[in-house]
Amino acid sequence: MIIDGGAAPVPATPFLTLNGIGKSFGPNRVLRSIDLSVGRGEVIGLLGENGAGKSTLMNIVSGALAADEGTMLLDGNPVRFRSIAEAIGAGIAFVHQELSVVGALSVAENLFLGRTPRTRLGTVDFSAITRAAGSLLTEVGAQSIVPGAPAGSLRAGEQQLVEIAKAAARKPRLLILDEPTSSLTPHEVAGFKDYVRSARSAGTSIIFITHRLEEAMELCDRILVLRNGEIVAQYGHGETNRDRLIFDMTGKTSMFAHVPRAVGARAIALELGGLSDGEAVREATFSVAAGEIVGLFGLVGAGRTELLEVICGARPRASGTMKLLGTEVHFRSPADALRNGVAIVPEGRKTAGILPQHTVRRNASASSLRSLAHGQIMNHRRERDAFSSFQNDLSIRMETDTQPITTLSGGNQQKVIFARALMARPRLLLLDEPTHGVDVGAKADLYEIVRKAADRGLAVVVASSEIPEIIALCDRVGVLSKGRLVNVQAREELSEEILLHYAFSEIEERP
Amino acid sequence: MSASSTSRQVLRQLFHYRETSVLLMFFAVAAYLTFASEFFLEPRNLLNVGRQASVVAIVALGQALVIIARGIDLSVGSVIGLSSVAAAITLRDTGSEVIGLATGLGVGLICGLANGLMVTKFRINPFIATLGMLSIARGVALLLTGGIPVNYAGWAEYLGAGRLYDVPVSFLMMVVLAALVHFLASRTVTGREIYAVGDNPKAARLAGIDVDRTRLFVFAFCGLLSGLGGIILAGNLASADPNLGLGYELDVIAAVILGGTALSGGRGSIFGVFIGAMLMALLNNAFVLLGISAYWQVVTKGLIIIMAVGIDGLQRRDNPDE
Repeated sequence: MIIDGGAAPVPATPFLTLNGIGKSFGPNRVLRSIDLSVGRGEVIGLLGENGAGKSTLMNIVSGALAADEGTMLLDGNPVRFRSIAEAIGAGIAFVHQELSVVGALSVAENLFLGRTPRTRLGTVDFSAITRAAGSLLTEVGAQSIVPGAPAGSLRAGEQQLVEIAKAAARKPRLLILDEPTSSLTPHEVAGFKDYVRSARSAGTSIIFITHRLEEAMELCDRILVLRNGEIVAQYGHGETNRDRLIFDMTGKTSMFAHVPRAVGARAIALELGGLSDGEAVREATFSVAAGEIVGLFGLVGAGRTELLEVICGARPRASGTMKLLGTEVHFRSPADALRNGVAIVPEGRKTAGILPQHTVRRNASASSLRSLAHGQIMNHRRERDAFSSFQNDLSIRMETDTQPITTLSGGNQQKVIFARALMARPRLLLLDEPTHGVDVGAKADLYEIVRKAADRGLAVVVASSEIPEIIALCDRVGVLSKGRLVNVQAREELSEEILLHYAFSEIEERP
Repeated sequence: MSASSTSRQVLRQLFHYRETSVLLMFFAVAAYLTFASEFFLEPRNLLNVGRQASVVAIVALGQALVIIARGIDLSVGSVIGLSSVAAAITLRDTGSEVIGLATGLGVGLICGLANGLMVTKFRINPFIATLGMLSIARGVALLLTGGIPVNYAGWAEYLGAGRLYDVPVSFLMMVVLAALVHFLASRTVTGREIYAVGDNPKAARLAGIDVDRTRLFVFAFCGLLSGLGGIILAGNLASADPNLGLGYELDVIAAVILGGTALSGGRGSIFGVFIGAMLMALLNNAFVLLGISAYWQVVTKGLIIIMAVGIDGLQRRDNPDE
């Protein structure tokens, strides 16, 4: 193996070469003819909006998906992975953004899951894995994590580092990291960067997917920008800047710029007074006016989803008060909240949004059954008409409204869930990661839908982990950190730095 | 080329309706019996099949709603036994047909409500909750009677053994109930809520559907129909045996699954369940007509359940989206 020192000059045969890789899901072409080479010890930054095709491309490289066209070379030899296991065998490790640690096991056991060292008696050699775990964690800059601690007790960021250490333990030749720093504290980020640099000088190639542009520019030897399934730009270290990258990613200089909206002096729609669930939400106090869009920003595990759940009655309230349009309310279930004009578009379209075996129309009407029925008896014509007006307003693309919802693209599925919430004629709309995993076009449509609804006097709360989304959409932003609402920021003072500063404010780092 | 591919598409579309396969099986068995036994097509035999199907079919209607809502009710057989005994004893002690009938239905309803409350309020897995009820209801039936059957004549006899223009009353009741439950499942708000809850309970809850109330309803309804089944069964024999309905849960669940209802919830049709129950009765009839040992019947029932669920699994594997 060739070992390069420092920032790598690319050797003659790259470790990985992709030629003309293409992939479609049904009618959607998600990747078109991608050419890419990764040298030994090279760090590549892969940037792009959600839905640009980054994950699909990396899933092909790591053996989770098969390409429709194109070839892949490893050390100059053609390969075709039929499974993730084959790719791992070839030295390719993928650390996903979704955490997959087993909470009930210790950190050390997680690190050696599936290949636990044994003692002579065949039992797990705990002293060996604890020792090895300690050095692995130190390697990725996470020396503060105790190897014997249950993995479930760690913060999301710490779990992320455990995942990275787990991949590093295999000594991969290519390490793919999807948003590795999204929930790390600044101190942990520094340790992580040291790990990337040392892995690079040991000859490990790294592909690094991130939304944090500064980090990409600092760490990467090369930055590639993916848009609509194509590589639209490629830069060496120090050859680009932030504005240039944003333009490349979105195709516009101000794709998701804030659209100024006049929020006059309007009635207070929602007023929270020290709302707590005794666990993940601690004394949230804020208010939302009719026609206002208020953001809730926070890191993974900050309590955004939980706060929305307490508001809509999906999670029991331990203390605090809540007023809806001036009336004190206490919802015992989302059904109760819906009757009083509170609808939610939940996080996780597949797990908590769609009814997968239902048609498009029946998904949309699920929250409005009583208003579409005469007593108990459904009025199918009224249901069809109600949906068709929303289909137009939300420009939902489909053949007929009786096709299964799973045959629509992710963005269109999400629009159907929006239609479901709006059809119930709510006065307060709660949105949880409303554009997660939808393509850029649908995202712009969804923002427009939210603005229009707010213009008609709907009060909207948007919980999101995406700063650009928060900045594009919100009139005011509350920042959550470890379940506490630490700051409510007016539109004028919004910036990425301020939001992140407050988001980390309640997190104490272990010494 | 294109002609064969369109006909293949039509076939696939047809098999997409899961009732198709059970309907085909039904006709295949019927066709075979027509040739294999001279008695099969006799009206007396056919009506008898209808009567035998009725109790399983009526209880299967309730069970279908439970399974569509992602639950299961293992207690139906015991509830049949307990309701019949309760109805017979109250009739004997009060002499009132109305009170007797109401007690039988009421006991079924209460057992169903108890199942529903265990599942919704105490978050007990439906399998375990109704397994417990299976034992409790049977035990209470035995305690009430000391294990000795109670005479049960009167209205119940008419329901269980009576005929209207030669057609068994229980069969007519089954047809009427099937039509009503079909309407409930496909045209009412409650029906839509049942499918939504079974398809994705978390999404249904956040969409503002009262998941607990829906689950409580299906269990209570299933209990009520089991109570009715118990009265019909006892009436047919003019005697309420505490062991009545023993093992019925197997036939009922088999009918529901054969009819194309997914055990994983959210999918199934009442029409399919109706055909599934008729098919089960037809198979029972086949064993009698062909003179095959009743023990084989027990083995076959098990095989049919496994086969029906196995076909479901294979179809799912073809379509990973589901």
